[in-house]
Amino acid sequence: MEITSQDFKAVSSAKLKDEKLQKALFQAKDGFVVSRAKVVKELDNFEAIRQAASDVRDHCLAHLDEYLEAWESRAQAAGTIVHWAESYEELNAIVVKIAQDNRVKKIIKSKSMVGEETGLNEYVEGHGIEVKETDLGEYIIQQAGEHPSHIIAPATHKSKEDVSELFAKKHDRPRLEDAEKLTHEAREILRPHFLDADMGITGANFMIAETGSTVIVTNEGNGRMTTTMPRVHVAISSIEKCIPTLDDFALMMRLLPRSATGQVISNYVSMTTGPKRNEDLDGPGEFHVIILDVGRTRVLGSELREALRCIRCGACMNHCPVYQNVGGHAYGWVYPGPIGSVLTPAYNGLENAIDLPNAATLCNQCGVVCPVKIPLPDLMRKLREKQYEKNLKSKTEKWSLKVWAYVATRPKIYSMVTRVMARAGKIVGGNSGRIRKMIFAGQDWTKHRDLPTPRGRTFRDIYLNSKKINKG
Amino acid sequence: MRVGLFVTCLADVMRPSIGLSTLDLLERAGCEVIFPENQTCCGQPAYNAGDRATAQKLARKVVSEFADVDYVVIPSGSCGGMIKAHFEDLFSDLPEYKNKAQWLSARTYELTDFLVNVVNADSFNTSFQGTVTYHDSCAGLRELGIKDQPRKLLRTLPHVELKEMSGAEQCCGFGGTFSVKYGDISSRIVDLKCDDLESTEADAVVLGDLGCMLNIEGKLRRRGNHKTKVLHIAEVLTGRNGEEAE
Amino acid sequence: MSARENILARIRSANKTGKVSDVIGGSAADRLTSSPISPIPDLTGNVTDRFKQRCEDAASTLDEVHQMEDVPKAVSRYLTEKELPMSLVCWPEFKNLSWSESNIQFESRGAIGDDKVGLTGSYCAVAETGTLVLLSGQDHHATTSLLPETHIAVVRRDRILKTMEEAWQLMRSEVGLLPRQVAFISGPSRTADIEMTLVYGAHGPFRVHVILVDQ
Repeated sequence: MEITSQDFKAVSSAKLKDEKLQKALFQAKDGFVVSRAKVVKELDNFEAIRQAASDVRDHCLAHLDEYLEAWESRAQAAGTIVHWAESYEELNAIVVKIAQDNRVKKIIKSKSMVGEETGLNEYVEGHGIEVKETDLGEYIIQQAGEHPSHIIAPATHKSKEDVSELFAKKHDRPRLEDAEKLTHEAREILRPHFLDADMGITGANFMIAETGSTVIVTNEGNGRMTTTMPRVHVAISSIEKCIPTLDDFALMMRLLPRSATGQVISNYVSMTTGPKRNEDLDGPGEFHVIILDVGRTRVLGSELREALRCIRCGACMNHCPVYQNVGGHAYGWVYPGPIGSVLTPAYNGLENAIDLPNAATLCNQCGVVCPVKIPLPDLMRKLREKQYEKNLKSKTEKWSLKVWAYVATRPKIYSMVTRVMARAGKIVGGNSGRIRKMIFAGQDWTKHRDLPTPRGRTFRDIYLNSKKINKG
Repeated sequence: MRVGLFVTCLADVMRPSIGLSTLDLLERAGCEVIFPENQTCCGQPAYNAGDRATAQKLARKVVSEFADVDYVVIPSGSCGGMIKAHFEDLFSDLPEYKNKAQWLSARTYELTDFLVNVVNADSFNTSFQGTVTYHDSCAGLRELGIKDQPRKLLRTLPHVELKEMSGAEQCCGFGGTFSVKYGDISSRIVDLKCDDLESTEADAVVLGDLGCMLNIEGKLRRRGNHKTKVLHIAEVLTGRNGEEAE
Repeated sequence: MSARENILARIRSANKTGKVSDVIGGSAADRLTSSPISPIPDLTGNVTDRFKQRCEDAASTLDEVHQMEDVPKAVSRYLTEKELPMSLVCWPEFKNLSWSESNIQFESRGAIGDDKVGLTGSYCAVAETGTLVLLSGQDHHATTSLLPETHIAVVRRDRILKTMEEAWQLMRSEVGLLPRQVAFISGPSRTADIEMTLVYGAHGPFRVHVILVDQ
């Protein structure tokens, strides 16, 4: 997907003024945050489960080559055709080749974020093959010609009115206002495609090394359809999706649905091991899995490694005060919110997403809900350090830091400078006790709020003076 | 016990009453308070900006200035968090300082945590009365586990009623330089915080972090709210109004 | 060098130079054979009761009968109550039950687009989450629980397990190699993609009815 993260500031400012989006974000926040809290409370050992998941992910990453090899040999033993891809183009080309080899005219698709990364739909459609997104949220944005704004609920930024208008136009049917009716209309429209598509493409929430399986976790039933009805099924995955065993998967399933949508379990968990077998009555004749590595191994060898634990639940963005107010599109790539602020520069280059790791208060509302305990603020800070090293910071910022460093390491100068600031600040504030307009960096503060003034003297001066007085 | 007072650069310049109140509280609890004169900054602004070298310089300074005390008490969740939770990481490539950082970390306390869990302070000399609501600063809450301590202290005050705001744990949008670099996002976040605290109709919002205080007070006044007081918990416990300069 | 070789080589090299953390330890081979179980929540209490409660929480409905022969009556009860058509497609294992006595038209085959009601059995069920476990394979059409608007599933009481871990354990011992598809189903299909409004009947069934059989 094309990266537009460099427009973060402009886009986020515009999104703050978008009332429709603001309403949608408020609703989403309420839904996701509240329902997650409720369902997490039910687990009396939630923290132990969370720690175990974090440890299992770390262990798997530490032996990732062995687990991937085990996965591959078991998958192949079940008849799965395994492909590896080192670039987005390579993955897209593999998909098209599979489609062309199988005379595929129509593809139905169940969500794949990796597919978003590679720009799969566009590439495939460019080769004259029809692609129909079937996840309701993905279907909506496909019809609208947009990108997802959230990794779990791709159309979260769209209002019901948006969808009513969109469906009336695209389906050429009378306009519906009810969410239920709209959903059922989409069901009706998409159903024939499930029945006559030649190929199904899904993502893969996990690859299970013990059995050579891939698994998808869905609520709508489109995932099951996509993995069962067409004659070819392709699952798009990436190296870090691998986990060791079925029991490790059960562990992840205690966390993923709760963290993502506040459900105890997602409606459908569909584990696929190979294509149709002799005794099967249905299922695709061919099952392919494509394993991608773009940027993952680089992150594996870096200090951002913990980011690869991610199980794509979306809890971090749901709880992030920045995401909650600007939405996902401002982040400019596939993954928004805190995980996006780490993965976007990590996979696309620091210089292409300079704002993202900086547009955070480091509050850690994300880290405390991350089911695999990714230390997101620490990773953002590490990216800031990298930016500093590579001279990607603004001159003003570097200069201000240098001045501050100079002064703060020289107590005598510091005491003088602060004395002046305390005095001057109070004078500027006058009787009101607040400063309403400032220059330089101060402008960006006083544009939005007052600055309570200093009180005229520093604590140091007051304290040392009183000590002097007491000493007599 | 010898207790080092780390007043924080922000309180030193912008609101000395926080330092004065902390001093009073510690002395009232029977501590011998040491104020290393040459203290300046804990290094957090540099650390969070990615300037590790400057942060290390400032951190080394703190470590050596506070080497001769039994405890270090800080009236700030974020500076407290910096020292307690981050100095060790900051010195990960300076082995000779790592031990000192661990030593300091073990002795460093945010003010309310010290009052409740070390000196068991349960009575205070304060004239403050009214309804209050408490804002949980992110660093204090998530790095240091400051949640119950300030509330416990507030409940000891006979003329103070505590009303919880919805979203007390929600970030106020300060985030240091975030507040100026991404001013409009920060402004929206603090507006929402002000909505929440105003809904309680409390006389004062009480906090443990001056960064949050400046942000919230600045926004309240800009919104036209000149009524709700914005106070540091140390000020509430000693009956100061925040404007004192002696 | 193929993409595969390159990727595996990069992984090995990254794990040599990177800040590897592995608190659990042990080799991959060990974990794959021993498959240790991680902390599980406290799930005391009657397993069947928990399953029934969780089914309800998952928006499934549930009925109980004594023996398999009673299933057609239970199905008839349900279809009548819900004002649904009295005809279904079913898995072959149910074809010899007395359907005509209950006035139900049945066909023992997989479902196609027009079928309204599908009846399946289940391999087992998981009480922790109110989940049905269906395995693909001989006589187990996947379409039956997928295409119709109503899915009715028969669960044997002695096949209700506490957790997903227990389900895997049972499969390892009884089935060995996993079948093509293991489907976990927890209630009717749903979505909340439009303004967070929960709607049932997204692409899969609108309703799921579980019939619990004692023997």
